[in-house]
Amino acid sequence: MEIIVPIRQVPDVALNIRVNEGKVVEDGVSFVISSWDETAIEGALQMTEELGGEVTLLGIGPERVSEALRKGLAMGAHKAIHVLYEEGQTDSFGYAKIMAKVMEGRNYDLILTGKQAQDTDAGLTASMLAEFLDLPQVTNIIRFSDLAVDGMTLYRKGDHGTEVIGIKLPAVVTVNDSLNEPRLASMRGIMMAKKKPMETLSPSDLGMGAEELGLQGSMTEVLKFEKPESRKEGERFEGDETETVPMAIQKLVSEAKLAV
Amino acid sequence: MPKVLVVAETKNGELKKPTLELLSLAKSMNLQAESVLIGKEVSSQADLLAGYGSGKVYVADDAGLEIYNTSKYTTLVADAVGQSGATQVWLTSSETGRDLTPRVAARMGVGALSDVTELEIDGDNITATRPCMATKLVQQCRFTKDGLRVISIRAGAYEAEEASPQTADTVSLSIPEGDARVEVRDIQVEESNEIELNEASIVVSVGRGTGGTEGCDFVKPLAGEMGAAFGASRAVCDAGWMPHKHQVGQTGTVVSPDFYFAFGISGAIQHLAGMSGSKVIVAINKDAEAPIFKVADYGIVGDLFKAVPVFQEEVAKIKN
Ligand SMILES: Cc1cc2nc3c(=O)[nH]c(=O)nc-3n(C[C@H](O)[C@H](O)[C@H](O)COP(=O)(O)OP(=O)(O)OC[C@H]3O[C@@H](n4cnc5c(N)ncnc54)[C@H](O)[C@@H]3O)c2cc1C
Ligand SMILES: Nc1ncnc2c1ncn2[C@@H]1O[C@H](COP(=O)(O)O)[C@@H](O)[C@H]1O
Repeated sequence: MEIIVPIRQVPDVALNIRVNEGKVVEDGVSFVISSWDETAIEGALQMTEELGGEVTLLGIGPERVSEALRKGLAMGAHKAIHVLYEEGQTDSFGYAKIMAKVMEGRNYDLILTGKQAQDTDAGLTASMLAEFLDLPQVTNIIRFSDLAVDGMTLYRKGDHGTEVIGIKLPAVVTVNDSLNEPRLASMRGIMMAKKKPMETLSPSDLGMGAEELGLQGSMTEVLKFEKPESRKEGERFEGDETETVPMAIQKLVSEAKLAV
Repeated sequence: MPKVLVVAETKNGELKKPTLELLSLAKSMNLQAESVLIGKEVSSQADLLAGYGSGKVYVADDAGLEIYNTSKYTTLVADAVGQSGATQVWLTSSETGRDLTPRVAARMGVGALSDVTELEIDGDNITATRPCMATKLVQQCRFTKDGLRVISIRAGAYEAEEASPQTADTVSLSIPEGDARVEVRDIQVEESNEIELNEASIVVSVGRGTGGTEGCDFVKPLAGEMGAAFGASRAVCDAGWMPHKHQVGQTGTVVSPDFYFAFGISGAIQHLAGMSGSKVIVAINKDAEAPIFKVADYGIVGDLFKAVPVFQEEVAKIKN
């Protein structure tokens, strides 16, 4: 099975993220693979371990994205495509258009991604790509079974339960993080990653002009980033629960209008 | 003149609250609204949509629409957009909305803004505020090109007003075939009459501090007594103490109830991402240093096993 896993390099949201004049400060930020995309890599590796075939990573962005791709290769992916893209951020629509170009003439059975990127929290790119490629989509999967070269069964976490979906390949599928626990790269994996093939393409190699890139290729733009109004710590109640709980509840009723 | 098409969602044949929130929002902004109602045995809900201010209601009522199906739903929404001449499509950011929003947008050849918490509308110029970076930041966005605006709005971001049903002006949509490459076979539902997390006005959640399934079961009756939905941290769901559908947080359900009670939850960033939009947060934790206290309006430093029975007594007193 040939699987393409688009991975996005994002600021590590576990660390402090600073904003200056409406922009995210990139200086001193450490960049990582978006965590849901790591889940997708792990899922893809498990599938190829069972059925054979290769996992190809796809990263779109500046030079530093090659580090994320190397990390994914170190986890066990077989090869990588880096679209060296210096035109600045675009939106999910713009990235999906670029990905659709990358897919042209390529051989794949499955495109597997995270359900959303950790920086945008948008969750738009994969389904847009599916539409552009006229492929079926299943998003937010928590399990797969009955793996075969031409299809599989997917379990999607829906609003009212787990939807069981049979899908014919090729298809676009996105993963929920409860699908698996991504493996860590081994020392040997890291050494081997250095020798794995990485294809670097420019947007013009893909036949894309300026009007399709950056803000021009976007349908939306971010005007500014802000720190949300941070919640302030309220009142503390310390002491014996038989005293603190009634006190807190009394205030909840009188001040915050709790009604049960 | 902007015209909004609201994609209605139902459960067990009844409209869900987030849908009513969207129609109430359209009304409060003096926008013309219509809606599209998709499902099995859902037609009866058209009158309530009308009561909430929906002009025409485009209805697709079919046994084959019982379980969500990307392909069929996308075709139906696109059909309704075409017939209504809507300039905006609003969805809720439920799992259905998350799947459908980008597919509908791409089908119409436009972009989308998802999981919006604040909308400013001036004609079809829209400024949307939405959380990003695991809610560490918010971003203000806008559409840069002409065309249809496709937006998903977070449940609880706006209030639903009260309204009573009115006779609806309905249009039946023709039922599409669906994509033969996808077979939606079944839905595995855990039977429950529990209140849904993203619709509840009170949520009681439990964390690893409960120590196990028994500890979770110890807190659960309190949720029932308060008419609250029952949530959990990921630590609890991963350990198998509670099913995953209870998970609150960045990767679980995002909730913004009037009251959020956290029993034995430390307040990790990913958990906060799912509940820091709550109006009032109450934390019960035995560690005075727990980060949850930084966001709690009422913080009780104590043992949940001692606190829960006192809570139950006090709640019983309020009820009487
Ligand atoms: C990509 C990613 C996504 C994630 N998504 C989510 C998510 O969606 N939701 C989520 O919740 N987490 C999520 N997490 C996990 C998150 O980082 C935390 O690990 C998790 O929230 C911790 O759960 P907890 O607070 O229950 O457990 P802990 O952090 O172990 O906290 C337990 C708390 O209970 C207190 N306690 C212990 N005993 C008692 C007692 N008797 N009485 C009162 N208090 C007591 C302790 O003082 C402690 O503060 C995610 C992590 C990652 C990496
Ligand atoms: N620049 C990019 N390079 C590679 N993959 C991307 C990029 N942007 C988005 N993606 C993929 O699309 C998914 C969803 O992104 P988003 O729509 O921003 O939430 C990510 O998890 C990635 O798998």
